[in-house]
Amino acid sequence: MLKRKRFLFAVMAIIPTFAIFGWVRMYPIVETLRLSVFQWNLLSRDKTFVGLSNFIELFGDDQFLDALTNTAIIAFGAMAVTIPVSMALAGVIYHRTRSRFAGFYETAVFIPHVVSLVPAAMAWKWIFDAKLGPLNAVIVALGGEAQAWLFDPVLSVVCIILLVSWQTLGYAVLIYLVGFRNLPKSVYEAAKLDGANGIQSFFFMSVPLLKPITLYVSVVTLISGFNVYAQAYVLASDTQGAPGRLVRVLVLDMLENSFQNFRVGYAAAEAVILLSIVLVLTAVQFGMLRQKGGK
Amino acid sequence: MTFRGRNGTVARATMWSAGLMLAGTLSAQAQDVVIWGGFPELADFYERVAEGMSDEYPDLNVIVEPIGLRDHEKRVALGLSSGLDDATVLELIGSTANRYIVNDLLPPAPDDIADFVNDAGNFEPFFRDTATVDGTVYGVPLFRGQGALFYNTDMLAEAGLDGPPTTMEEYDDYAAKLTQRDADGNPTVSGWSLRLSGGGGGIAEKFWINMHQFGGALLEPVGDKYRAAYANEAGLAALRQYVNAVSGDKTVTIDMPADAAAFQRGQTAMFIRESWVIGDTEKKAPELNYDTALLPRGSIALPVNLYVSGGSDAAQDAAWAFAIEANKPEHLIWLLDNVGWLPNRAGVDYSGVIEAKPQFSAFVDLPEDYDLFTLPSIEPINEILTRFAAVLTEAFADPSLAGDDAAMMALLESAEEETNAILDRAGILAE
Repeated sequence: MLKRKRFLFAVMAIIPTFAIFGWVRMYPIVETLRLSVFQWNLLSRDKTFVGLSNFIELFGDDQFLDALTNTAIIAFGAMAVTIPVSMALAGVIYHRTRSRFAGFYETAVFIPHVVSLVPAAMAWKWIFDAKLGPLNAVIVALGGEAQAWLFDPVLSVVCIILLVSWQTLGYAVLIYLVGFRNLPKSVYEAAKLDGANGIQSFFFMSVPLLKPITLYVSVVTLISGFNVYAQAYVLASDTQGAPGRLVRVLVLDMLENSFQNFRVGYAAAEAVILLSIVLVLTAVQFGMLRQKGGK
Repeated sequence: MTFRGRNGTVARATMWSAGLMLAGTLSAQAQDVVIWGGFPELADFYERVAEGMSDEYPDLNVIVEPIGLRDHEKRVALGLSSGLDDATVLELIGSTANRYIVNDLLPPAPDDIADFVNDAGNFEPFFRDTATVDGTVYGVPLFRGQGALFYNTDMLAEAGLDGPPTTMEEYDDYAAKLTQRDADGNPTVSGWSLRLSGGGGGIAEKFWINMHQFGGALLEPVGDKYRAAYANEAGLAALRQYVNAVSGDKTVTIDMPADAAAFQRGQTAMFIRESWVIGDTEKKAPELNYDTALLPRGSIALPVNLYVSGGSDAAQDAAWAFAIEANKPEHLIWLLDNVGWLPNRAGVDYSGVIEAKPQFSAFVDLPEDYDLFTLPSIEPINEILTRFAAVLTEAFADPSLAGDDAAMMALLESAEEETNAILDRAGILAE
């Protein structure tokens, strides 16, 4: 009887949490899945069931394919920049743990992660400005040629990769620092006795030992890269003076289709594809982690 | 009256509670009216209109919330589809408002407001019609966006040019003569600033204005349906002019500062824009010597109206009263003088402002054959403009198109197919 009462109490206690979770997290996902097979203009009460035609149309839509390609390049590009740089920075900071500036180093690296995205993107827009930006000023001073960072089809994507990496770096460094602090010291002492120097220890011991952390950081970075929006939006804004080339990304395309083109079902189909990509990436990460744990 | 001891404390608490309740009751009686606008420079205008209502509506609390146009459009879409608690005055371009009206998300105007709008002495039929659907008035006209050429008079004089260009061929000649270059021949000041990049449909809208000068239109009405109409000589002429400016004559580059900001800083000699630039330039570059000119054939005119949604009946009445107050001559003259948008109301004497700022004459002193056009009130207009803008952006930046009319026409034909597919999906494609 007591067991049953305890069980009921536990269920009653957990129901509000599940209810909130279901309402806030699961319902929007289910509703998005449902809307993706309808044609709906957001304003009308009528929703027409169209089956998979939104998905079929998407894969013949140049703008969507452009957005998908750009988003994938940005996500993988940001991951390719973030992982080595954050691991190296974390290694240096860890090596300098006893320095009285250790806290400053950690804070300095982490600050971009907490800075509001829009003002940060505005600052980067100025940095990348072809005529007035300090980046081109430095390039020209070093004898190089000024680049149209925000207008060239390739460089404008590179700019967004740099901006996303700059923001995610702080979080990745923190995670790597935790990883470094949990590495067994005895292994390094043994390596030192065998004559390994710091660089050898880093590449042949730290990097393999940090593989689970690297997997985690890679997925977090990849997912945040696939959700890129504000960076692309701000770097192409300011139509009154210095607009940039609009790098079409998935979230931007979804917003445009929903609230400007009033094609909510179509945008929901895009969201379902983005969700699928993120789920697959997450599954791959879990699979790799499990594989690692099994070994 | 003083309160002492424990009883005093209780009495004091009671008094405070009563006071708070009274304040709560009073604030409940105050009416909130929210103003949602897509033109932040109009914030002071709306504040001024609200002050003008304070005698008649002492309890009215007007909350002015303007944001950028693209975000405003998203906010309106979400707000109207999910419902608004407060009575809200919505600033909308007529073509945009139409989709909310046909979906019953914007209520018709009360009779007295409709009478005001229908009064021929207040608004010309063009403006009245943009606020009307199937004979029912839904909004109150306020101002319009209309284009004209802005040119730097000092730069024209230095280049030996007497007066503004009057044909599109002259636009090219002027641009070539006005462009300033560095030792390597790279332009440092553009001769004619064109909209070449950025997001949204603005690029296509500006292209349409230029194409209009060649006698073309992006969309052609056939009865109550439409079809794309830009893969033709007019469309080719407009695209050729853009491509030649960027990759041929190189009178402008994709990455040069552009638009009003560039004009005010002396980084471009000419550009086409709406009248708000006059008010903006007065604030940001008062020393700039410039003038305006009519476009060769005509201009776009985008009327912006005020609509009302949400709130109680009483609050809605106050919101409609706000729309009428905004159309009072003293506010409209202030709007023209200080902000620069063109008021739509007829019968108001704007001559004082126009005399003081002769640049307005290219917006108001229009010849009879000056051909004004506006965006059609069709549901997929934004999608059509945005998708065509994406095609144009790529084309402007493609140097291989320079001098290749066949490639440019092929590009226009491909884009036209896409536009027609959008119209077809919406069920409004003309055969």
